Amino acid sequence: MLWTDKYRPQTLDEVVGNNKEKKIILDWVDNWKKGNPQQPLLLVGPPGIGKTTLALVIAKEFSEYIELNASDKRSQDVIKNTIGESSSTRSLFGDEYKLIIMDEVDGIHGTNDRGGVRAIGEIIKNSKHPMILIANDFYSKRLQSIKPKCTVIKMAKVRSPSIRKALKEIAAKEEIKANPKALDLISKKSNGDMRSAINTLQALADKDEVLEPRDVENLRTKDDRSDIFNAITGVLKSKNPQHVRDALRVDEDPTLVMEYIAENIPREYTNKDEIKKAYENIAKADLYFGRAQSSRNYGYWRYASDFMGIGVSSSKKETYKKFTKIQTPTIFTLMGRNRGKRNLRDGIAEKMSKKMHISHSIAISMFPYLEIMFKNDELAWEISDFLELEDNEIKRFRSKKIPKKVINKMEKQKAQMRVEERDRRFEELQNQMMAEAQEVVEEEVKEEELPFEIPGIEDELPEEETVEEEVVDEEVKEEEKEEKPKKKTDKQVSLFSF
Amino acid sequence: MSGPWVEKYRPQKLEDIVGQKQIITRLEKYIGEGSMPNLMFTGPAGVGKTTTALALAKSILGEYWRNNFLELNASDARGIDTVRNDIKSFCRLKPVGAPFRIIFLDEVDNMTKDAQHALRREMEMYTKTASFILSCNYSSKIIDPIQSRCAIFRFAPIKGEEIKERLQFICESEGFEADDKGLETIVYFAEGDMRKALNVLQAAASEGEAITEESVYEVVSKAKPQDIANMINKALMGDFLGARTLLRETMVLQGTSGEDMVTQIYQEVSKRVVEGKMEPDFYIDLINSIADCDFRIREGANPRIQLEALLTKFI
Repeated sequence: MLWTDKYRPQTLDEVVGNNKEKKIILDWVDNWKKGNPQQPLLLVGPPGIGKTTLALVIAKEFSEYIELNASDKRSQDVIKNTIGESSSTRSLFGDEYKLIIMDEVDGIHGTNDRGGVRAIGEIIKNSKHPMILIANDFYSKRLQSIKPKCTVIKMAKVRSPSIRKALKEIAAKEEIKANPKALDLISKKSNGDMRSAINTLQALADKDEVLEPRDVENLRTKDDRSDIFNAITGVLKSKNPQHVRDALRVDEDPTLVMEYIAENIPREYTNKDEIKKAYENIAKADLYFGRAQSSRNYGYWRYASDFMGIGVSSSKKETYKKFTKIQTPTIFTLMGRNRGKRNLRDGIAEKMSKKMHISHSIAISMFPYLEIMFKNDELAWEISDFLELEDNEIKRFRSKKIPKKVINKMEKQKAQMRVEERDRRFEELQNQMMAEAQEVVEEEVKEEELPFEIPGIEDELPEEETVEEEVVDEEVKEEEKEEKPKKKTDKQVSLFSF
Repeated sequence: MSGPWVEKYRPQKLEDIVGQKQIITRLEKYIGEGSMPNLMFTGPAGVGKTTTALALAKSILGEYWRNNFLELNASDARGIDTVRNDIKSFCRLKPVGAPFRIIFLDEVDNMTKDAQHALRREMEMYTKTASFILSCNYSSKIIDPIQSRCAIFRFAPIKGEEIKERLQFICESEGFEADDKGLETIVYFAEGDMRKALNVLQAAASEGEAITEESVYEVVSKAKPQDIANMINKALMGDFLGARTLLRETMVLQGTSGEDMVTQIYQEVSKRVVEGKMEPDFYIDLINSIADCDFRIREGANPRIQLEALLTKFI
């Protein structure tokens, strides 16, 4: 769960900072409750300072609320259909007011949302319900016609001591040990953005390690480029190509952004055909990331980016009117949690690859068969012995240890085989030497018919012998070394006695 | 008493290699020569590319083959620099007791284009002292300059008859019973892949009973992760998130490769259509998507993402 959601303030008191503004809002709510209609509120301020949080806290004071998130295709019809109706009709039960929350009002785009701003103006005029509009940029052209009809509340950035205090509380509740200096650094780098500060803390926190300033130091200071969560929200919550493009302009590895979008598609989209369409676009984006990588033509990235951005965003018929948390791809946590298992697996694969002339992937594809073979105690020992597996690696293939009795028996058997093998080799070698000696002798006899070449032969002979000695050293076990000289003399005798 | 049969029964001499007769005949001509062109072995898994390379090296290099032979797996997680350094330090020395040195590079098709270009330069640099044997599954993934520097040998899947003969030989050597039907079932599942055939055989034999059709089926179904069927069921019921989680777990925890996942998904759905549990029309649509997914993975896309997209076709 995102901490920004988990620790989202539930009451007005808990909202940090902006005390004067909070007072105005409280009065506004009280007036509505007394049956005294008020102008809509327009909350303006930079991201991450609690505008949406404030709206949600206020929503609790009313029986119902409707939320229209940003970046929908806000044609006049959409707004009229979703808000227009509920804003002009009162609930059947008299005093029950519905709160209307409209986020990112300044995100309405000129050509695509033709008439969108005008529609909002009309709704404001006709509305019999409390309404909160939220925007980032006070000076946006799109707010010009709306501002005069609203009570404008300009909210400021959160001061860094307030952020630090909040981080400290969260860290305590999550049982994260953190150096106060690290928290201080995060709150300063967040540049007044509470959400980004909390996200950063969550991203860096580790249950087993103390968070130190050096962990924070290489973080970029949050600037005006949208962060990854906003990018994903942009793609999933919008159908406006311009808006999607803007949202995707993040300073992150594009394949990471793709993972985030893919992760959240089935969480945001519920219509099956939309999921299919959206995922097909993800697959195409991935294909072009792959092609860019293998051809080193990074120009392909622009296609990938459009597939995962505009492609995914336009896969939905309409934007969903609900809050869906953006989740970190579970594949990362899955891989992190199982790092030990994967290391074990790769270690075994490496041993197999060395002994069996196969790649890691082929080695791993053999695991299921090994699992069956390892049910047999003796075979389990044999294979483990062959691959030189450690106990924990054996456990990958069988839960029970190999019985001591079997181990002893197999080790004895192996020793026995070694002796037999040695004897067999020794015999082989002896035969081979005899044969070779015979050959050399025959050669010598032949050569003797031409006496002038004898010196040459004598030169060659010792050479041949040294080569043989090397072979003997390599192949015959140490115990047999003593027997060697005897053999050699045998041979020498046979060589020169002719 | 020597572990996996795939290793114990790996043919050591060229003449013992099963199948690929024409290739072997041609390769035997290089024995005793002072040099050998660079070779490229292409073909599916388990048809004897590595075995042939090892046997050829032993025949050519003789007694000192170990000192003059370098085996590198190009696909494993090391960079091209490591590979190049290994090749460099190996080629710098003159061959000892052999006419030249041999470098065997496995799974070259998994190297990036850049790495392949670097490899090409190494191949040119040491033509006097060393010959390369490259092996790959798909020669189409090898850059042209490398292909043009190699004599290319295409290894075909091993014929069923030949696999069966080999299995019989092993059964006799190991001294256990196997009925005809049992061996034929192994041959059927192996699809020309000797490594797979031996793995199934040894796994079936490890249960201690005679090898029959049933015992082989049991091994094959046990070796196939049950998760694949569960995953498909979940997706078919519309639980995409659940299916996706199973997919990720199978790939991360069991390390199943993308290619293997595709094969197993294919086998599972084709079993269902044959058994009448899936509509042929729907099946053919799925095959279209599976084939696409397969192709993309081999082209270098991220297998997990492609498989996740494939899963959506089931919902």
